Amino acid sequence: MATTKIDDRTRWDTLHKNGPFPLKFFLTTKLEKNSSGLSGFEKYKDVALEIQKLLKQTADNQQRFRAIGSKWSMSNIAYCGDRMHFNSFMNLKFPIFEGEMHQNSTYSHSNLFWFQCGNQIKEISRFLERRGKSLKTTGASNGQTIAGCISTGVHGSTLDVGSIQDYVVGLNLITGPNPEDNVYLERNSKPVLRDTYAQNLNARIIRDDETFNAALVGLGSMGFIHGVVIEAENLYLLHRHVKKIDKTEALQLADTLDFTGYDPKIPGTDFKGVRPFHFKVFMNPYNTNEKKYAVEFIYKIKYYDNYKADFGNPIPFQKQFVYLDLIYLFIKIAEKFPKSIPTLINLLKNSILPKEEKTTVGKLSEIFWDAGFQGRAFACSFGVDHTHSSKTLELLAKFTRENPVPGIFAMRFIKQSKAALAFSKFPFTCMVEIDGIQWSDSDKLIALKDYSTKMIELLKLNNIPFTIHWGKNADWAFPGLVDHMFGDKAKEWKKVRKNLLSPAMQKVFSSPFLDSTKLSAP
Amino acid sequence: MRSIRITIYLGAFLLMTSCYSVRFQVENGQWEPADTERNDAFAGYHVRTLDTVLTRKLTTGDHYFNISDCESGALHTVEYRTSFGGILLNAITLGRKKKVKINYVCIKENSM
Repeated sequence: MATTKIDDRTRWDTLHKNGPFPLKFFLTTKLEKNSSGLSGFEKYKDVALEIQKLLKQTADNQQRFRAIGSKWSMSNIAYCGDRMHFNSFMNLKFPIFEGEMHQNSTYSHSNLFWFQCGNQIKEISRFLERRGKSLKTTGASNGQTIAGCISTGVHGSTLDVGSIQDYVVGLNLITGPNPEDNVYLERNSKPVLRDTYAQNLNARIIRDDETFNAALVGLGSMGFIHGVVIEAENLYLLHRHVKKIDKTEALQLADTLDFTGYDPKIPGTDFKGVRPFHFKVFMNPYNTNEKKYAVEFIYKIKYYDNYKADFGNPIPFQKQFVYLDLIYLFIKIAEKFPKSIPTLINLLKNSILPKEEKTTVGKLSEIFWDAGFQGRAFACSFGVDHTHSSKTLELLAKFTRENPVPGIFAMRFIKQSKAALAFSKFPFTCMVEIDGIQWSDSDKLIALKDYSTKMIELLKLNNIPFTIHWGKNADWAFPGLVDHMFGDKAKEWKKVRKNLLSPAMQKVFSSPFLDSTKLSAP
Repeated sequence: MRSIRITIYLGAFLLMTSCYSVRFQVENGQWEPADTERNDAFAGYHVRTLDTVLTRKLTTGDHYFNISDCESGALHTVEYRTSFGGILLNAITLGRKKKVKINYVCIKENSM
């Protein structure tokens, strides 16, 4: 039988140290041992019952329950004060076979895989690569769990793919302690698996587009995501090159995403007029004299086995990171002398901006490889329609120069998602993000909360419709924020949540984050 | 007085240069995760430690230390640490005793 270790804890923190937060219990569930002789399906069903038992205990104690994976989010979205459940060891993986497909499915079974919630992106990639397959996109790194990714909308900058949730085609949720609370969701318009597949996992089938789209980015509050069915694709290679291009050219590309006739002039290639797989613009807000911006172009090319002989290993033999204590020392200086921030950022720019003019070629999992621990980090990330990219960047960078904080900006681009609460809601969403190192509140430096509040006010004042990345720092209690960002979609999301969860389970799956955003309100 | 100062400087130099760690990891394996509040390169990793003193006898040949607590049967990261004390112990005992300290991270079970 699956087992759960329950530890008394007094506090919990995110990976990037955005807390700490007070906590009562920390739960870790492990699958039945391989030596038990149980099949993968039997282990999956067994641990589902264990989760249902834990949900009952939580409800009986009138507490809240929150599943967490790798805790990479910087907002408190992953947190609740009662019972936090670490599910990273729930990592079963199943390929889908031809006979398991729904009769009306348009998917190719060889591209479909069922992953349990705790599978991390890196292990999923390894599993797929051994079968000649690849994920369609990831975030900038690979440590998040698949359930964590889709709950918070993790994205890369793949122009025509979308975010991680956009290749999820089936969802297995545990919405309570009763047998009928184990549900499997698909879109009615895009069925995937035959009924017997989910029934074999004791799951009740719901095929409904609205329900599926609402549950897809569920903010950890639509029940316990036990498994997902994803659509992968054949292995491909990515050709990555970073170069500085004229600022006006970079901003024009961002505002139009029109690469027709554009020549990135990458040595040894002919990508003229080719739409990149990934496009990212970096910007140091403190260098107003900057005539050129560093831009990351990544093109998709056909996979072949011997690519390392031609381009070398995309993963460096020796990986080096900036000495964290040095960065913390800089932050201490910045707290005392805010005017020193531009100088400090300029001093660090070679370490925090990608190296220019270096071509790397590798699989998706190699290009977006392990991230070193970045220390006490913060990130604010706003989604705007890509036609507002340069205007938004200019506004936020100017505001940041007036209220200096230790970070630099980047712009990434994502295709529209069908998920109700996806922050990639525009036809092409530009995520304007500032990443950096946390600072302590001081009289001389703007507090992070005030910084994020004022950015929201600034975008509203300038009539720029926006969204905010669920996993990043923001003033989540800003009045009417979610309604302003999502309007009727937020109502739709709440309606589906009420349909899926009993009143008792709505409380179990609520959280301080949901309270702040008013999404737990009727 | 001058010789004392030189000795102190030399000692401090040796102390600093003899303490180091080297970390090796596999490129393509999934590390075993842990929810901790670590604030270093091992944040998010389940780190295990082997800290022992190896005694070498005249009849001793090669040594193996068994790592028996990786359920996956595979290692993701090995960090070898050396300290001034360890080097001193080795020198004083004319190489008979060697302090060994490694931190290691297993591959996550069922991830391969």
